[in-house]
Amino acid sequence: MTDTIIAVGCAWLVAVLAGLPLYAAMASGAVLFVAVSGFSMSIVPQKMVNAMNSFPITAAPLFILMGNLFSASKVTDRIVRFATAIMGSLRGGYAQASILSSLIFAGMAGSAVADAAATGAVEIRAMKAAGYRADTAAAINASAATIGAIMPPSLPIVIFGVTSDLSVGRLFLAGCIPGLLMAASLMAMAAVIAGRQGFPRQRFPGMAELWHAFRDGLLALLTPVILLGGMFSGLFTPTEGAAVASLYALTLGMVVYRTLTVADLGRVLRDTVETAGVVMPLVMAAGALGWCLSVSRIPQIAAPAMVASISHPLLFLLMCNVLLLLVGCFMETLAALLILVPILVPAAQAFGIDPAQFAIMMILNLVLGTIHPPVGVVLFISSRIAEISYETLARAVLPWLIPLFCVLAAITLWPPLTTWLPRLVLGR
Amino acid sequence: MMQSSRPTGAVRLLDLTLVVIGCTLLVALFGTVLLGIVTRAFNEPLTWTDEGARFLMVWLACAGWIVAGRRRAHVRIGFFLDRAPPGLRRAVGLLTQAVLMVLGAVIGAFGVLLVQRNLDMEANSLPISAAWMYAPIVPAGGALVLQSFLQFWEEVRLRPAPADGPLGNIAQ
Repeated sequence: MTDTIIAVGCAWLVAVLAGLPLYAAMASGAVLFVAVSGFSMSIVPQKMVNAMNSFPITAAPLFILMGNLFSASKVTDRIVRFATAIMGSLRGGYAQASILSSLIFAGMAGSAVADAAATGAVEIRAMKAAGYRADTAAAINASAATIGAIMPPSLPIVIFGVTSDLSVGRLFLAGCIPGLLMAASLMAMAAVIAGRQGFPRQRFPGMAELWHAFRDGLLALLTPVILLGGMFSGLFTPTEGAAVASLYALTLGMVVYRTLTVADLGRVLRDTVETAGVVMPLVMAAGALGWCLSVSRIPQIAAPAMVASISHPLLFLLMCNVLLLLVGCFMETLAALLILVPILVPAAQAFGIDPAQFAIMMILNLVLGTIHPPVGVVLFISSRIAEISYETLARAVLPWLIPLFCVLAAITLWPPLTTWLPRLVLGR
Repeated sequence: MMQSSRPTGAVRLLDLTLVVIGCTLLVALFGTVLLGIVTRAFNEPLTWTDEGARFLMVWLACAGWIVAGRRRAHVRIGFFLDRAPPGLRRAVGLLTQAVLMVLGAVIGAFGVLLVQRNLDMEANSLPISAAWMYAPIVPAGGALVLQSFLQFWEEVRLRPAPADGPLGNIAQ
């Protein structure tokens, strides 16, 4: 049966490279495996449905809804104003403010793409108006948006947790310090580049403007506090937290700020259904393919084989980094997670690596592919907002990859960066 | 890139109906999860909210699957195919649609079997048959067959189709 799954894996790879939708390639692989192995074909739709028949997975569409509601409510305007008031007077203040805005919005967005799309319009416009080159502004926006996939709430973290049967709340906590580190390292890079390229600095707006900006954005800024506070006080689960955060976003947009109209709400719902319709079939198909992998005992065979052939956990992590960076260049983050988590997580556990560390490392690797050609979907969005070519942005973003790689190296080499906070809050 | 034929009024109505169904399911899911939190906070937890949310999740996933399929938003890697010569691209395009048709037929047909097998089983906390859990996979499979047949037909008639959505979408 192992030979069958390897042959199916090859067919799947060809199908993916030939342009078959990723979910269809995975589901077709499962159909092929079941047909060759002589199982009942009804297993395929059954496993697909069972992948959705889970309460934690309901967090996925609800976090997508939350991100779309915050974007449509134009909450980003308030966040950027607040961040600019704090950081604007530094050299390269708009770049720093842009990174801070992305960090704050990461607590409301749930994904790198949502972060780039929501903050990009305001940040890139502000930076261009302040005299930044369009490619520099877009590169800062794109690289800072990757924080959205690491800081809670994060859709990739939800999918990782559901796929590996790990606590989503624990993984959310594991992403906090790496997310902050990503912001800090990008800010350090911005400071270096600002000095070299002579980025402009703004006049300090004064304490009054700082207070106004803070007061104006306070309710939006409270979102991560409410979300994480509610989760870890036991008021609601991470899944329910997605619904609470969506309700909070809806209330802010329609009642408090009154920036969300009924027409906007219709568009938000439609976009959420469509995005969920892109993500969920991937999870469903991965459920069917995952069953094929487990029947073939691939994880049980692969994990001991890796442990036997790789002498040290650090070497395993290094190999995983290379593999995941390569995969992330060509494959969508969630699809890659769904395929690789069942294979790599048991191996990581066999090496004694904390699953929280491995989760954040894996997601960061894959999300770096979103700001790197040839796929680079975040580059695609930021380049469109900045009205520059994809190729121009692909070159401009290169220096900004350095600090993100440094964070990746740090969380690979020093586990407490990802394990200390979950252990502090939740215990072992 | 090629252009697909303009959708007729009936197709537009069907698309709108699908979106309305999807949005209704999303709102119902949102409401059900919130109801679970609120009733638990008042020490009167409802027994069916978790299971209801799971049923709605399956239905929402299938409705969204069809909506995303209609908008050609499903994630695919077009990097290699887009650089292939036109003849090869067309041949692979036809093969792709044929594979999708077979996949949709398998999912739809064996989905019917699953529904039949579960007709007599009751859900744990909801007064409905467990078959409702599997029911939406049938139209999802059917829609996949129909959509890929239409795209296959477009390719056969050499009518260029619009590019699929950007790889990646909103979820990364």
